[in-house]
Amino acid sequence: MLLHTLNRSPLSAVLDQALAGMGPDDRLLLIEDGVIGALPAQQARFESVAGRLYALHEDLESRGLLSLCAPAVRVVDIEGFVALTEECERAVSWY
Amino acid sequence: MQDDTRQGDLLVILRHAPHGSSWLKEGLDVALVAAAFDRRVTLLFMGEGITALLEGQQAGPLGQKGTAPTLAMLEMYDIDSLLVEARGMDALGLTGEQFMLPVEGVGDAEIAELLASHALVLNF
Amino acid sequence: MRYAILLLDAPYTSQAAHSALRFTRALLAKGHAVDGVFFYHDGVHNAARLAAPPQDEPHLVDAWAELGREHAVPLQVCIAAALRRGLLDEQEAARHGKQGASVEPPFELTGLGQLVDLGLRCDRLITFGP
Repeated sequence: MLLHTLNRSPLSAVLDQALAGMGPDDRLLLIEDGVIGALPAQQARFESVAGRLYALHEDLESRGLLSLCAPAVRVVDIEGFVALTEECERAVSWY
Repeated sequence: MQDDTRQGDLLVILRHAPHGSSWLKEGLDVALVAAAFDRRVTLLFMGEGITALLEGQQAGPLGQKGTAPTLAMLEMYDIDSLLVEARGMDALGLTGEQFMLPVEGVGDAEIAELLASHALVLNF
Repeated sequence: MRYAILLLDAPYTSQAAHSALRFTRALLAKGHAVDGVFFYHDGVHNAARLAAPPQDEPHLVDAWAELGREHAVPLQVCIAAALRRGLLDEQEAARHGKQGASVEPPFELTGLGQLVDLGLRCDRLITFGP
């Protein structure tokens, strides 16, 4: 199981590259501008990773997106980010 | 995915076109250094990075070197596992005959397996 | 666990340096070993000795240096990427006939082989890009 981090908004083609690289158990953590993907209207883009989608609390909060975050997205703070890297065998960054 | 060449030490993913930025060059540099240290290296070209493989590239204005000469040297470094994202090739309407090196197309499922089967994945 | 960090963008250009610094601090706070932070591509600008951001902004270069000193984390800067971008330590400045160095300890110029070594030696390598 790998952890993929994505720092680009879902309007970027980089999301498609990240999704292409994801195995069936891999997790996806949205950071930086990637957290725009936590908006409810964007959830269809993340259908294939339902239940495995995370977003970084601090980056949601600083962008005013915390209260707008879709309920299915698991919000983690920086310690949660560290924990995800512990649980997953390796991390791959998409930017 | 029983092929041993797919279980290398390092997977370098190249997602940027030549000339427009230094991402491709600096990604290839890591691959060459790793190979020089006897690491097994796999290259995966995705998206715009696929255009790095096109025949007929030249130096750019002001003598900008580009990356074609580096690609031509890969064989000397025993980097012969060259994979290309099939979906990206389709999107750009490119085929293997237009490329300067023999490559193998891979689908999304294979790309995920590649990431899982290499000890280190570096994304450029 | 043993971690390595790869940082690929300049400070004050994207959020990458902020994210990498925060993540590295969180690793150390949790008791993980950080075997090295490797600066590559535009990430080499994090080692710019002369960076002088406004006082109400975080000083990222100083923050890396402090982290490196306090926790004995090697701060490794790719020499090829650095020289191209005008980042030279004293030795390289002398070698190239340049006055003054733009990189100073605890940042150290090193080869790309170090990145491959770090990545394969550590349990985890976490990359922060632009």
